[in-house]
Amino acid sequence: MNTIEVRNISKSFGPQKALKDVSFDVKPGEIFGLLGPNGAGKTTSIRIILDIFKPDSGVVNVFGGEINENKKDLIGYLPEERGLYQDIPLEECLNYLASLKGLSVTESKNRINDFLIKFNLEEHKKKKVKELSKGMQQKAQLISTLVHDPQLIIIDEPFTALDPVNTQMVKDILREQRDLGKTIIMSTHQMHQVEELSDRIVLINQGESVLYGNLVEVQKKYAGHAIHIRTESHIPETFSGIKQIKKMENQSRFWIDLEPEVSFQEFLKSLMAANIVFDQFEIATPTLDEIFIQVVSQTGTNYE
Amino acid sequence: MNKIWLVIKHEYLKHVRKRRFILAILSLPIFIIFMIGIGFISGISQYNSAPVGFIDHSKLLSGATEYNAKPPISFLKPIVFKAFSDENDAKIALNQNEIQAYYVLEEDYFQTQKIQVVANKKPDSDVNKAFLTFLETSVLKDVPAKISSRIIEGASFEFKSTKENKQTNEDNILDFILPFISGFLFIMAVNISGSYLLQAVVEEKENRTMEIMVTSTSPTQLMTGKIIGNLSVGLTQLIVWILFGILGIAILFQLFPDLQKTHIDLSFLILTIAVFLPAFVMISAMMATLGATMTEEREAQQMAGIFSLPMVIPFWFIQVLMEKPNSPLSIFLSIFPFTAPISLPVRATFANIPLWQILLTILILILLTIASLWLAGKSFRLGMLRYGKKLSLKEIFTQRP
Repeated sequence: MNTIEVRNISKSFGPQKALKDVSFDVKPGEIFGLLGPNGAGKTTSIRIILDIFKPDSGVVNVFGGEINENKKDLIGYLPEERGLYQDIPLEECLNYLASLKGLSVTESKNRINDFLIKFNLEEHKKKKVKELSKGMQQKAQLISTLVHDPQLIIIDEPFTALDPVNTQMVKDILREQRDLGKTIIMSTHQMHQVEELSDRIVLINQGESVLYGNLVEVQKKYAGHAIHIRTESHIPETFSGIKQIKKMENQSRFWIDLEPEVSFQEFLKSLMAANIVFDQFEIATPTLDEIFIQVVSQTGTNYE
Repeated sequence: MNKIWLVIKHEYLKHVRKRRFILAILSLPIFIIFMIGIGFISGISQYNSAPVGFIDHSKLLSGATEYNAKPPISFLKPIVFKAFSDENDAKIALNQNEIQAYYVLEEDYFQTQKIQVVANKKPDSDVNKAFLTFLETSVLKDVPAKISSRIIEGASFEFKSTKENKQTNEDNILDFILPFISGFLFIMAVNISGSYLLQAVVEEKENRTMEIMVTSTSPTQLMTGKIIGNLSVGLTQLIVWILFGILGIAILFQLFPDLQKTHIDLSFLILTIAVFLPAFVMISAMMATLGATMTEEREAQQMAGIFSLPMVIPFWFIQVLMEKPNSPLSIFLSIFPFTAPISLPVRATFANIPLWQILLTILILILLTIASLWLAGKSFRLGMLRYGKKLSLKEIFTQRP
């Protein structure tokens, strides 16, 4: 059973079509990347999955059926619009939100205490939320997403406004949660973050699903017949097997597109035969950014 | 269901635990106690408990030598009336400040009806009244007590209109005052609860907590919890005030025994509650709707006045409601949902209202209450994720969430 099944959902806001016939599945225990540029319809998709919006057409199944109040307790959601009650103490705010997720008073108290210690927020728990820094509030929000030990975690733009230390912390937590068997949907426009984490992805552009599948397979599919090489030596453009060579911006890295009949092995041999010294030789896997640009330039996009 | 309770508890405690709320709840009783206290102090400071002398040439006081007048406030010292045999003794006593005044009852009192008062400073009218009571009691001492007390206390006039077929006792001050007080309290309670509710709805937007909330509860549960929670805050305030009021009235009754004749009509209370409750929820739900369409608290507070205005309209037409309770204007005011909570109880005090009008009023109120709750729920769902953009009335009716 898939954790989430999204079937042909469409949604308009007035004249503006936010989603057109989008479908994807999220499998249990995976980190699923919901990708796309700003305004592509990622947040709208999540809001429809969570029953905040009703789709104009199409069906969403969560845990094998329509979402209901009991299922909401199995979901942890970190919305893109971060928000906590500003005017009450942090501890009280978290306890209230946890109680709404079905935790008993003592249970939520214990778990929140553990999380506060883990996130270095223990000494701030009596402060009003508005007195905390942005980063602390971000961490507090993450506590309220995870405190009820949800089976499904949906996080929208988790890395926005996080410094590198906290970004790493969030990534570690996501991995940790996946290892615990949780299903995670991560929505972001920062594609490079997804590459490290996601198992499968869907790429949405202008409300349409343009790419969907296993990340490795997608990358394979879009991988050309190219290599990356780092060398101080000069490689002439006329070198055998090279269809195209491009110098990368940094250092002495080159991107080389090979003639289709030349295999990577053969090219490596001929480089060594030509006595070209290199520090790195690597089959070029396209980054998601590159794939994304490739895909949207095919489907067309308007950058505002 | 459990989650509604959690929301109610949170919304309720959030306000009730604040210092601001406790101050607000105490401000009215403190103000009233202050006012009563001032009235009291001025009453006591003017009260002269020095004895009063009298010289009875008419023999109407039948040789009585002393009489204790009933004091206006029960714990004050009664004024003692002392008999003097001749005016010179009385004059000396007056000059030595032993008495504050003396009354001279001439032999021909029955012909002249004149009582002479001699004093350095004109005594309080209450002292004159007390002396008259003393005189009446003495004259009527042979008449059976029942009859004499009836004569002394006088009659109480009951107003019975041939047209309106409703009785109002002039002595029953509460009959007159109650609709006003309850109307006033109603407006207070609606404003307090309404503004709390407005705040509570806009707050979700300002704090951007809406998404977390509706993915933890349903929007309906959340809205229901918020409405009940915040109405309870207003009700708590109201109940505390009413308790203080009852306490105050009880004290007044103790101090001013004359008030004890008044009573509160049960049917009036039932009618008032039957109108107040749905109106209370209706107006609060409308405030919530307003809150859901607004994006900032300040803006929402300014708009809240829209609902207070029609509620106070009946006070402008209070004379019409009292004097012509069955005129078309009065009937309209008591049926129109916004003016009904104040108008209907006032009208009911001064006229017998046909049952169908009462039922119609309550029915319209209940229907409108349901409609406003629905509207509040819908605009809440539609408006909850609109940041910085107002929701128009047209959108509420035409758009799907």
